[in-house]
Amino acid sequence: MSSSITLGQYLPGTSPIHQLNPRLKIFTLFLMLVLLFSLKTFGGLIGLFFIAITLIASAKVPFRYFLRGLRPILYIFIFTLVIYLFFTKGGIVLLRIGFITVESEGVREGFFVIIRLITLVLFSLLVTLTTTPLSLTNAMGHFLKPLRYIGLPTEEVAMIMAIALRFIPTLMEESQRLMRAQVSRGADFESGSIFRKAKSLVPLIVPLFISAFRRADELALAMEARGYRIGAKRTRMYEDVIAPGDWVAIAFVLALLATVLAFSL
Amino acid sequence: MFIGTEKLTHTYMPGTPFATEALDEVSFSLKRGEFALIIGPSGSGKSTLVQHLNGLLRPTSGRVFFEGQEISSDKRGLLHLRRRIGLVFQMPEEQFFSESVYAEVAFAPHNLGLDESEIKNRVKDALGKVGLNAEQLQDRHPFQLSAGQKRLVAVAAVLSLNPEVLILDEPTAGLDPAGRRNLFDLLAMLNRDSGLTVIISTHHLDEVAALADRIIVLQHGRLVLEGVAKEILTRRQQLDDLGLALPAVTEILHGLAERGLPVRTDIFTLAGARAEINKLKGRREL
Repeated sequence: MSSSITLGQYLPGTSPIHQLNPRLKIFTLFLMLVLLFSLKTFGGLIGLFFIAITLIASAKVPFRYFLRGLRPILYIFIFTLVIYLFFTKGGIVLLRIGFITVESEGVREGFFVIIRLITLVLFSLLVTLTTTPLSLTNAMGHFLKPLRYIGLPTEEVAMIMAIALRFIPTLMEESQRLMRAQVSRGADFESGSIFRKAKSLVPLIVPLFISAFRRADELALAMEARGYRIGAKRTRMYEDVIAPGDWVAIAFVLALLATVLAFSL
Repeated sequence: MFIGTEKLTHTYMPGTPFATEALDEVSFSLKRGEFALIIGPSGSGKSTLVQHLNGLLRPTSGRVFFEGQEISSDKRGLLHLRRRIGLVFQMPEEQFFSESVYAEVAFAPHNLGLDESEIKNRVKDALGKVGLNAEQLQDRHPFQLSAGQKRLVAVAAVLSLNPEVLILDEPTAGLDPAGRRNLFDLLAMLNRDSGLTVIISTHHLDEVAALADRIIVLQHGRLVLEGVAKEILTRRQQLDDLGLALPAVTEILHGLAERGLPVRTDIFTLAGARAEINKLKGRREL
């Protein structure tokens, strides 16, 4: 089943957010980060948080995917909150345990930072959940282009990233298949000491390497046969054009940025 | 019921937008010693089905039976089951990892925890069963062998478990006609002489139709036909609608019969068809 393993977090969809130009999405994400860190008031932050929620709703990606994305950084949230609660002083004393105090300024600052972090993660997830990894790398390659002038082969680096991404699911599928095949031959990958477990991986790794090298060889041949040359100018089947919708998005974000800066929210 | 399934359903990645139903309420059963074919176009769920039979995949719903009992889900039970039901994967030579044919075939008995002399016997026995000369081949590197020999070594590498059921997923993919015939002859012999239950998944009936006792036809994960091979093979139109062709020789006989010639159409082997056509020409058999 080719669809049994998916890479990254991308969920296919047809919402306006899905259809935005990937380059623009990365650029907008960057602007949003700038925006988030230039916000000074609680009101502005809550406003941006609700904008994130609105955009998520319009992308029609089930909210549990966002929750799942937030889970790994839960501990960072808790840690940050604790630090702020106990170490930022000012305002009224809310709680006193011996010489430790929790003061209102700490609570305020703590929640401010947490909401900022959550909003940041939500915006990033919105990009990765609605953009294929391949168009993300292509867009990244685009932003790396200036590095060409200092001699970096950016096109080739982008190609390497794209190929690596393309083959991760293939290799995962293959390793799963191999694992089942060796299990059918009585292999046991689960029990035993670490040393035994490491040894039991040999029947998995050897064929995986052999097939990876074979694939690399075939891919190189196929690419050359289709005219791929290092350093040659490439054209794309799908040109990523900036559509009217993209201009709307960019105008919206710039307006947002201007508002925040003008009223120092 | 020796081995079989009851309303077996399997969904890949359930609960995500990528959920795909690979099997939908498939029920069938086989008797000990039968030679069964699971046929269907690619993507019909054959590989998913056979991987349930030795417990590699767990049903989303429904049950899998072996010797009249539902197969257990605990680790020990599954380990035990996989020794009795051998599964040869598609393109099995891609799993090779050892530097000698001997080590490759010895992998399975080694995993069973047998002692060296017993392993040696098992390897010799398994290579012999697939018609390979153990003395001559066992020290060679598996990658030095021909495609046909590699496939035979891969089958031997599962036979060395001494299974009671041998399941092969698309066993002839990538083999030339001689290799295919050789492999099928071998499987027929193992089935006849050692009473091994053989289950083969394939998408074409050439060369193998005559060997089968039972045929199971899958399409889009559903069981569409199931029964005694001889009976299923008379349903030419129905198979054709499913995108499955009868063996080429049988199609020729059907063609002749349609032109009004008195030939039998229930013949599935080249030799049988040749005899039938020679009879038609009024000649003695060549």
